[in-house]
Amino acid sequence: MLELWTPKYLFWPILLIALFAFLRSILSRIQVLRMAQKDPRLDHLKERFRSLLLDGIMQWRQPRYPFSGILHLVIFWGFVVLSLRSLQLLSYGLGISILSPFETGAFWDLYGLLKDVFEILVLFTCLLSMARRLLFNPPRYKGSHEAEAYLVLGLISFLMITDILFEASYCLLAEKNELSISQAMAIPFLKFSRTSLEVIYNLSFVLHILAFLFFLNLLPLSKHFHIITALPNVFFRKLKTGSIKPVRYNVQDIEDLEYSGTKYIYDLTWKHILDIYTCTECGRCSDNCPANLVGRELSPKMLTLKLRESIYKTYPVTVQKKERPNPIIPGEVIGEGEIWSCTTCGACERECPVFIEYIDKIVDMRRYLIEQGQGPSSFNQVFINVEKTGNPFGKPPAKRADWAKEAGEIPVRILKKGDQVETLLFVDSYPSFDPKANEVTLSVVRGLHKMGEDFGILGPLERDSGHQVRRMGEEGLFELLREKNRNLLSEIRFKRIVTIDPHSFNTLKNDYGLQIPIYHYSQYLYLALENGRLKPKRVIREGTYTYHDPCYLGRHNGIYGEPRELLKGILDAPLREMSKSRDRSLCCGGADVGLWYEVREEERMASKRVKMALEIGADHIVTACPFCMIHLEDAVKTMGLEERLMVVDLMGLIDSCL
Amino acid sequence: MDVVVCLRRVPFTQEVDLEIDKGQRQILAENLAFVLNDWDNYALEEAISLKERTKGTVTAITVGTEEDEEVLRRALAMGADTAIRIDSEGLTLDPRNIARLLARVIRGLRFHLILTGAQSDDLNEGCVGAMLAEELGLPHASVVNKIELGEDVLEIKVELEGGIEEISTIKLPCLLTIQTGINEPRYVSVMGIRKAAKKELKVVTIEELSLDKEALVPDVYVERLFYPPETGGAEILEGDPHIVAEKILRILRERGVIS
Ligand code: SF4
Ligand code: SF4
Repeated sequence: MLELWTPKYLFWPILLIALFAFLRSILSRIQVLRMAQKDPRLDHLKERFRSLLLDGIMQWRQPRYPFSGILHLVIFWGFVVLSLRSLQLLSYGLGISILSPFETGAFWDLYGLLKDVFEILVLFTCLLSMARRLLFNPPRYKGSHEAEAYLVLGLISFLMITDILFEASYCLLAEKNELSISQAMAIPFLKFSRTSLEVIYNLSFVLHILAFLFFLNLLPLSKHFHIITALPNVFFRKLKTGSIKPVRYNVQDIEDLEYSGTKYIYDLTWKHILDIYTCTECGRCSDNCPANLVGRELSPKMLTLKLRESIYKTYPVTVQKKERPNPIIPGEVIGEGEIWSCTTCGACERECPVFIEYIDKIVDMRRYLIEQGQGPSSFNQVFINVEKTGNPFGKPPAKRADWAKEAGEIPVRILKKGDQVETLLFVDSYPSFDPKANEVTLSVVRGLHKMGEDFGILGPLERDSGHQVRRMGEEGLFELLREKNRNLLSEIRFKRIVTIDPHSFNTLKNDYGLQIPIYHYSQYLYLALENGRLKPKRVIREGTYTYHDPCYLGRHNGIYGEPRELLKGILDAPLREMSKSRDRSLCCGGADVGLWYEVREEERMASKRVKMALEIGADHIVTACPFCMIHLEDAVKTMGLEERLMVVDLMGLIDSCL
Repeated sequence: MDVVVCLRRVPFTQEVDLEIDKGQRQILAENLAFVLNDWDNYALEEAISLKERTKGTVTAITVGTEEDEEVLRRALAMGADTAIRIDSEGLTLDPRNIARLLARVIRGLRFHLILTGAQSDDLNEGCVGAMLAEELGLPHASVVNKIELGEDVLEIKVELEGGIEEISTIKLPCLLTIQTGINEPRYVSVMGIRKAAKKELKVVTIEELSLDKEALVPDVYVERLFYPPETGGAEILEGDPHIVAEKILRILRERGVIS
């Protein structure tokens, strides 16, 4: 390097001031994390490191949106490569040489080349990103801090340009010729006088350093905090989808808490606050959120941004006010309309490139509202019914197995305490009492019977699995149900549980902590088809089919293949995929809040879904969840499409082929 | 304003096929779930909201067994300050004796207003309220569906036959029996009830009330419970909903219910 005009003692104070300001901001952000609730995230370290590598560093989720994903990948990798360069320049300005041992040899030559390539790539990508935002601003950016996005893209471009100028002028001044790209960049300056080159050399250096330090200080104040927090956020991500967090970690007796759930900022867990710091405002969550798509009040991105604004206002990095505001989150910061709009479908969490969590946060707000008696009044009777009769309809437990009377000559064994059976069929409330869902129950029973399965049900002793009430925020009631069901299960000997409803499957699997294999019927029957225990007698040749992935089978539990394989086993007719399928499946309207609470919306989720089936020319929608079936069938009827489209349950279809 | 509210736990009988025990004097209760009587739930909500508006207190009372304490815990969870159970000690009590027991306890309390449900879900007699007012020598009004606060009085609304509404003023202290729909009772979460289980609950025995168990024999005595013999005249419509709906329409027309 050549001697700079600027004396070293000029950079030291600038750097120290910038670092001091930066650290102050960071410490103030950390202070909020430390105040927040516990949330243990150091389990399964192998899986965490794997995810850090794949999802954090390789950014596997980015290309789910191909164009912006690739732009982001380039910038991200640019940052990784150029961080070394920044360090080099900084140390150069300070007159220290921490990097000098490396600054020789083939590695450094290669690095120089890589650096030049990435500087040009990053500059080009930033310009492209700005142009893209200017020309076709995607709707998912609505509500994001757009000026900030331009500022940062501009800043990065500025950093690239200043370094390119610096390098080019250096090449000419030092008469260095070995780096082809730097040389090429220097071509426009060939005719410049030495003095002009020196001016460029010095000016671009100073501007680069100043811009760099400014950018550093901007990070903790902006959405670009994610440059620092994204990797830790991915590392500490929630690994077990489908489950709901406990009311409080590390609190034995939640009765001792003054209230349950989230009331104030510090009721959030530290990870949830880190989430809020990390959000990149990309809007991918909201772009896939069914609530947002049908015009409900909820947009997950905006939920995070509102929380962020509230946290930053309450705990600013600047002078601390004496009288700190203490906003109440549910009802004030986040509207009740937003809180009750979520179907817990998980589309947002599946899409978010930095693994921000929504369901646990929303359920915690619901827990607070429910315990304060501020939930929708239409829930009251449902909760009382579940508490008193074990089902949301308030039907007498004695009638829980009445559906079995329709099973004809098939014996449905009702288990008692002390009994032994191979397969325990956990029916749950809707499949026990709802007439539509009863049909699915009966077809599952017929399937098991044809397979020669030794199975039994819990009948009047079974209680609701509690999937719904837990997600509606009635944690105490959920605990009650779980305790009663777990005690009952411990008194019967069985090898596995099979469920009819994906929601019961999910809750037994992820919320109950049982040490026994739990299957949704689609998984269990798929196994039977594989090993030849299930032998369809005929195949279906008429019609065009599509499969609708239920959220709690697909997204939350990763079961996409088995239902499709089962379908292929009985179909000799086209099976097409809708525009949104597998982990991007669109929720049908959900199995909890929406059943008992009229949420304001422009369109029903199920009718949106039905339209997607029509788009691909399907005349049968197959699903594997009683609630999907109920919602979709309802939509087909209200849209007057009974003649064109049929909604069938996977098991019903299989049953017709046995 | 200090309010006393009287509660009762009743069986949850929705859609249950009730069974009569062998002695034909009682309904079999073994397999029944129990809840707070619906009317009492409204009375309780009214008491709590009066407390919140006037910064007073609420005392909840029930007569019954330990299992009946469930309704008191619900009241405590909802915001009642004190809860008292008068132990029924295995006695079958008729409304008059329940009123006498309640009166003994309430006399010793500081109160401006007593609320009860208009009737209970199980026996539908609707007389404990009136009898209790009589025992205590208080003015009373039944089936109240709105309460407004006045100076030493309450303005209350009652719906009469034929949809006529009546507004009256009643002097405090007084007793009101509450109609459903007067308010929207808040939900009490299971956690709320669990927390309330830690609050104090007073139990009073009949002896402590200086009453003689012997004197509490009922004046009214159930002789026999039975299902009425099945008679003809019922027609069960079958078929898919369209056809059933058409049949209903036809019958309604035939009988002149609609034209
Ligand atoms: S879980 Fe589903 S409904 Fe809820 S915010 Fe996420 S995407 Fe929207
Ligand atoms: S939560 Fe995730 S997906 Fe949604 S805007 Fe933020 S970073 Fe993007």
